[in-house]
Amino acid sequence: MKAVGLKDMIVAGPRGVSRYTGTLFAVFVVQSLVAIAVMLATALVLAQVFSHLPVFDDAVDGDLIALVECVRFARASMLAVLGIVLGGVAMWQLASWFLAGGIYGVLAQRPEGRRDTARAFGASGASTYLAYARLALCGIPGWLIVLAAWIACSGAVATRLEYALTTWDLVSSLIIAFGPAALLWHLAATVIDYARVELTLRDDTHAPGAAIAYGRALAFVVRRPATLVHGLLGHLAWLAITIGSVWLAQGHPMYGAEGAITLFVLRQGVALARMAVRFGVLAGQVELGRTRPAPPRRVEVKVQSEA
Amino acid sequence: MRHALATFAVLAGAAVACGHDHGPAHVRGLPNKDDKPALRTGAARSPRLANYKIDAKLDASRHTISASETLTWTNGGSDPVDTLPFHLYLNAFKNEQSLFMRSSHGSLRGAHASDGGWGYIDVRSIAVDGVPYQLRFTDPAKLDQTVAEVKLAAPIPPGGHVTIDISFDDQLPEVFARTGYKGDFHMIGQWFPKIGVRVGPPGSERWSCEPFHSNSEFFADFGVYDVTLTVPSTHGVAATGVLVASTESPGGTRTFTYHAEDVHDFAWMADPYMDLVKGTADPGDGGPPVEVRVYFRGEQREYAHRHLEAAIGTIEKMSAEYGPYPWSIMSVIDPPVDAAAGAGGMEYPTLVTTGGDSVYARPGMHLPEYVTVHEVGHNWFQGMLASNETDEAWLDEGVNEWADGKVMDELYGVRTGAIDWLGWQAETYALRRALADDPAHIPSPIATASYAFVDTSAYHEATYASTMRALHTLELTVGSARFAAAMKAYAQAWAFKHPTGRDLFDTLGKELGQDLTWFFGPVFHEVGGLALSVRSTACRPYHEARGVIGDGKDRVTRGEIESPDTGAWTCEVVVQNTGTIHVPVDVELRFEDGSTQRSTWNDHGDATWQRIEVNHSTRLTEVRLDPDGKLQLDQATQHDLRVDGDGAAGLRAGAWVAALAQTLMQAVGP
Repeated sequence: MKAVGLKDMIVAGPRGVSRYTGTLFAVFVVQSLVAIAVMLATALVLAQVFSHLPVFDDAVDGDLIALVECVRFARASMLAVLGIVLGGVAMWQLASWFLAGGIYGVLAQRPEGRRDTARAFGASGASTYLAYARLALCGIPGWLIVLAAWIACSGAVATRLEYALTTWDLVSSLIIAFGPAALLWHLAATVIDYARVELTLRDDTHAPGAAIAYGRALAFVVRRPATLVHGLLGHLAWLAITIGSVWLAQGHPMYGAEGAITLFVLRQGVALARMAVRFGVLAGQVELGRTRPAPPRRVEVKVQSEA
Repeated sequence: MRHALATFAVLAGAAVACGHDHGPAHVRGLPNKDDKPALRTGAARSPRLANYKIDAKLDASRHTISASETLTWTNGGSDPVDTLPFHLYLNAFKNEQSLFMRSSHGSLRGAHASDGGWGYIDVRSIAVDGVPYQLRFTDPAKLDQTVAEVKLAAPIPPGGHVTIDISFDDQLPEVFARTGYKGDFHMIGQWFPKIGVRVGPPGSERWSCEPFHSNSEFFADFGVYDVTLTVPSTHGVAATGVLVASTESPGGTRTFTYHAEDVHDFAWMADPYMDLVKGTADPGDGGPPVEVRVYFRGEQREYAHRHLEAAIGTIEKMSAEYGPYPWSIMSVIDPPVDAAAGAGGMEYPTLVTTGGDSVYARPGMHLPEYVTVHEVGHNWFQGMLASNETDEAWLDEGVNEWADGKVMDELYGVRTGAIDWLGWQAETYALRRALADDPAHIPSPIATASYAFVDTSAYHEATYASTMRALHTLELTVGSARFAAAMKAYAQAWAFKHPTGRDLFDTLGKELGQDLTWFFGPVFHEVGGLALSVRSTACRPYHEARGVIGDGKDRVTRGEIESPDTGAWTCEVVVQNTGTIHVPVDVELRFEDGSTQRSTWNDHGDATWQRIEVNHSTRLTEVRLDPDGKLQLDQATQHDLRVDGDGAAGLRAGAWVAALAQTLMQAVGP
């Protein structure tokens, strides 16, 4: 089998996005629906408190004093909004196991036509859902290590962060505080991704367990730094789109209800672009994942009782 | 991976390497004496009842001071005095039994007492007019040792003088509450035995010499200070007053002599790494300018220039508003960042400490400037108008806070006084108001002794924010120009005296030509606040009265046909005040056609609500209470009410929140 390099992985991204644009849109629509639910729930909570208070209009339009007043005036509502956001993210996290399984399945099986693509998406998502859930449990120690690294490094530079006088003081301290944790986070996330690829690719033939897939993915990622570089390029592209959109949005307030809709639509465009990047990264991971040696087969032993 | 680790290691190493290591201290050049008088112009400003000569030597490695003090004290009252009480403030840091430590729990303004950094003062001897005496602590339980007194064998008659010789040793605490050391930095305040102040009317005069509580600051008589300080040759010194002599001394030390007139305290700083930037301020009285100095460590240079600009601006603005700054020098100490929480933000005559230096205080975020404005401003409200900070802290802290807002507005713009950064703007008064607690939630009135507040939070809210908001409310209610003139009259009448809150109220009432007890009473002496809101609004189509109208043969019955709707509207608005403070309230009604109608609800009495009924050609759309923003004592959130709800802003906020949520979703999922 031809060796797959970083360039192949990158090229696989646009190819996957262009070939399965409908799949990308389908996943995006689900995410947009969750976001719309969050938007409407938030709007409802805020309207309950502020629809009669013009000071809130000023706050939303960027008046700092009005913003402080509104937050202090309606702390309970602000907490409710926070709860809505966290609830939306949690809901998406649960849905994402199915959706990620579907995307990997489509990219792995390369079905032709909408019907087969939909069938592959649904079948893969459903068949790997519980395996992904088990994988999430296997990943917890990794995330705890990330958390521990973040706490330890932040603690080490807490004083420097508190007393930072220059931008360099701040940036260097932030790098120390977040750098190791970010690297470990990237490693843990990449391992999870490749474990998912294996769980998806070998589900029918080898039915690997989540723990074994996780361990094998960890070894694979450590042996193949290209996996980390590839993922990192995806993160950088994701960040560039996010920062660029925030930059472009400066000084363009959207007034009125129409403004709210315009704002939402524009932000959906940004979210779609970011999801396309992520989709492309998944495609590259599948491209490389195909070349990995297969995991050991599980042997099912049937014992007949001699009753 | 290896590249990433290598890059990280390089960055981490560079970050550590750029820490603020100043290297070994070097011997400095001997500074020239200040060729200036202590007072820029004129003769003595104060009665000069407490005059000190102090000779002190700092051991910078042990953080100790060995000193002798000669105090010449005059009984300026009309009653004889048979007891002399002294503040021994440093004993506040002696152990956990002091009132200060019990009331602060070892933590003040974000700084914490360190386990090994205790401080204290030992009085080795005391003699009054050459006769040795014993100092006795006034706390019967002897837990708090911050006040001690001498019982005299013979009383001092009115107008009589005594000379008190005291020798004492200080162990400075690791700084967490204004005074002490941090590494090589020494900020030395409240370090010598300081006599109390006689207060009260003739016939019932008494000493004011309260134990040191964590909420309270200081109160002392004016006098002349001649202080000789011996420090290591590596250390630079800044102190109250002017430097009149500097000489080399044995043992690698130097001796500096400072002279200050008409001040009520003496503080100093010694540090081997401080740099200095200077400027001049013109108080506008035709006299010589004030030399403004900012002492800072090299890494804080950028901030030092911001402090210098703020200090110069404050001196010039406050001189114009409340009388010229009388002294020749103003020194601003910018403590090292790790000492700023403990040593920063404190006022002494002619010398203050500032703070707020941080990368987070970007240019345009005026927190460092505000600290300097506030502390320099104290040279008027406490430095010259030497009110009792223990009993009436609001009279200097709160009044100064109000005055600071005006200075910030003038220096940095009305809309941008507090913040002008990346498009975010905030006015000083408005930001303080938005961040302040509702006065109704504070269980003590403003005019409460500092030690009598339920906790530090209540003390701060009432003393600083509520007082500022109260004075700003009164200013906007009576007119800024008139109020400024009245405050100037107060400042000039009571400079170099010990004014009380009553003196301020009386002066303002007299200057403004009205009885203001309706305001001062509930605002300063009662618990509660101002709580205005629109209780209800309703509009109905206007028509002539329907029903049975008139009597006898004139009686007619009018229904919808005889009295049809005219197309106009009758609108009713009920406004209410559920607080304890009652002030005139402007009410503005806005109608669909864009027109407005104003009225004033004169809420001087006990009225707690008002019904306003108007007929208008179009419907009411909005009710605005206090449309000009005069009533700073109340939170403005509910002052503006839209009759019909509008969820557009909520939807826009929802769109923003949803975008944030979606970003998080993409961070955790595909």
